[in-house]
Amino acid sequence: MILHADMDAFYASVEIRDRPELASRPVAVGGPARSRGVISAANYVARRYGVRSAMPTVTARKLCPQLVLLPGRMARYVEVSAQIRAIFHRYTPLVEPLSLDEAFLDVTASEKLFGTAVAIGKRIKDEIRNELGLTVSIGIASNKFVAKIASDIEKPDGFVYVGAGQVQAFLDPLPVERIWGVGKVTAGALHRLGIKTIAQLRRQSLPAMQELFGQHGAHLWELAHGRDARHVIPDQDARSLSHETTFAQDIEDSEVLLARLLELTEQVAMRLRRQHLKSRTVSLKIRFYDFSTLTRALTLDVATDNTRDLWQAVRDVFETRLPRPLPPVRLIGMGVSGFDNESEATAQGDLFAPPCAEMPVPTAIDAVTDTVNERFGARTLRRARILRGNDPAGKKS
Amino acid sequence: MKFSILREDILKPLQTISGVIERRQTMPILSNILLNLQGDEMTMTATDLEVELITRFKIGGSPTSGSTTVPARKFADICRTLPDGATLEVQLDGDRAKIKSGRSRFTLSTLSADDYPAIKGGDKVSELSLSEQDLKRIINKTQFSMAQQDVRYYINGLLLEVTRDRLCAVATDGHRMSMCETGADANQDEKMQFIVPRKGILELARLLKDTEQSVRLRFGSNHLRVEMDDIQFTTKLIDGKFPDYERVIPLNVSNKVTGNTESLKQTLIRTSILSNEKYRGIRIVLSPDSLQAVAHNPEMEEAEETVAVDYKGDNLEIGFNVSYIIDALNAVESEDVEMCFGDANSSCLVLPKNADRYKYVIMPMRL
Repeated sequence: MILHADMDAFYASVEIRDRPELASRPVAVGGPARSRGVISAANYVARRYGVRSAMPTVTARKLCPQLVLLPGRMARYVEVSAQIRAIFHRYTPLVEPLSLDEAFLDVTASEKLFGTAVAIGKRIKDEIRNELGLTVSIGIASNKFVAKIASDIEKPDGFVYVGAGQVQAFLDPLPVERIWGVGKVTAGALHRLGIKTIAQLRRQSLPAMQELFGQHGAHLWELAHGRDARHVIPDQDARSLSHETTFAQDIEDSEVLLARLLELTEQVAMRLRRQHLKSRTVSLKIRFYDFSTLTRALTLDVATDNTRDLWQAVRDVFETRLPRPLPPVRLIGMGVSGFDNESEATAQGDLFAPPCAEMPVPTAIDAVTDTVNERFGARTLRRARILRGNDPAGKKS
Repeated sequence: MKFSILREDILKPLQTISGVIERRQTMPILSNILLNLQGDEMTMTATDLEVELITRFKIGGSPTSGSTTVPARKFADICRTLPDGATLEVQLDGDRAKIKSGRSRFTLSTLSADDYPAIKGGDKVSELSLSEQDLKRIINKTQFSMAQQDVRYYINGLLLEVTRDRLCAVATDGHRMSMCETGADANQDEKMQFIVPRKGILELARLLKDTEQSVRLRFGSNHLRVEMDDIQFTTKLIDGKFPDYERVIPLNVSNKVTGNTESLKQTLIRTSILSNEKYRGIRIVLSPDSLQAVAHNPEMEEAEETVAVDYKGDNLEIGFNVSYIIDALNAVESEDVEMCFGDANSSCLVLPKNADRYKYVIMPMRL
């Protein structure tokens, strides 16, 4: 059984727990309106006014003038996240964190020790409430896809178990937008075909879905049947790390694509460094407007965790290994694999190493960037080129 | 365009140049070769935008001039699989190329010859001549140390350094370095450096033969052109500054080992079997008149072998990636070899025990 745990309004909840007098007021964590900040989390009081995460702070202020806006304290959230993860690890080593406030747990083998998945889920929920003063929503099902939807359906403080025989009845009435991988564009295309619910999607034939959406269509069709074979991959055993982004509108401008790619590279590189890994293989994934998908990889001679090196490699792949002229792009992704751990990778002497123990410039830049971003929030310090890609159409991730 | 040709007469030039064409293309025309027939002279061109190969040969009979591009692999496969002694009749018909031979008929798609990309020859900043075999030799003595995909893009190639009377090749991947020089007639006083990309070097090495015929190297500001007997090779150059290679040639090499090249190499090859497959580390232990090689792997298997050498230096233990030493010894032609060590953190210099002008520098590994 797979358990999906998703903290409720995590950043905001941590702030309110630390300052209980705010509990009854609309609270959001985010950047200030004057510097074009966005909301990164809002409590449920604020959500009643329509405040949502990823919303510009200016808009949030208009919707809710009495909003209490707090600056993010990333170091604090990282610390609390580690405490939550420690609770997960009491029940299984198979914990796959998706972000600071969200994780999958495979509790199949834990049932003998701790009771049923439902009992484990209840204990985790209680321990997080009693020990940390926070609430979590939990979904339990036989696979990741259903578990993730289940955790979301009764938020906040939800607890939903979907037994093997109930999967179809659970999924059928839900709108197709609930499916992972159905964003605005796909949803629009499905709606035009009269497909609004998961039941309607499930009743399409597989060949028809493949015809319309290619490989992606087949995947959605499988999910609509409640089938998802992906395993829970504990972060420390990960064989690869990747980030990708789907655009709200297809993009043809290489400048915009490169800016997005750089942003993804910064995120992947930071995760790599956080796990003390170095990677040799860099891959670029592109999905075109017609859903055809390309993956191009490049293996470096020496493993690296420098953002600069990884960026240089993936940019080279982008510039030399894609069809020209480039068709409109709906998704771009960047990934790394082929990990070496640091000590083995650096055992070989370098002929051109800088004299004495001076830190190479790219490493120093990464160290500063990571420190700033961990302290003041992701994306506080970024490479300027990313700003060039601020496409007016906006994006969803 | 229309011509007839004997299978054997077109197959060899076709195979010689079509090696440069990449399987995976970003532009459809790059999987084609350019055929340009003027009078009785045929010019065939293949390119991947980085390396360009042009071959010229005469066409007998009474051909009709013209030009087009056809899919390289398919055209070469057709020629290859036709029987020995077959005659091909090739004719451009609209946007199709028709090939007839005996009772076989093929119609190939074409793309316009006008769209075929050419590497601009342009300017000339340096020029020299040397024998084909000397050029082949300095490439073969060094190319194995080139980086493949290093983030320092300027080492993913071979440095060619031109001075008045000599041409020097240097390759490095940051862990080891190869150098070889030869006499050449350059007629210039200034020392100039050019970095030829890896693919260009491998392609050039494939084309060069062991002859004493003179070949001409012409360097432009961003390309190198080599004129051989029946083939013209052009490659782009890497725009970058090669590391200061002279700085890393060790000077303080008090600990000198002299040994038989072949027996040292065989010892290391045997020992390497039980080194870590990925990192290839071995330990070299030096004591008076003996060199011991020791390897372990993660399965806790172990290899150990001692070979008699001439050594009067300090007792020393030092780790290396064994592949780097084997590569260097493979390139050494003299019966005896000299390996010069400093201390356990310093690079090792490998030299042939004769007057030959090549050497190898290898950085150690912490074990």
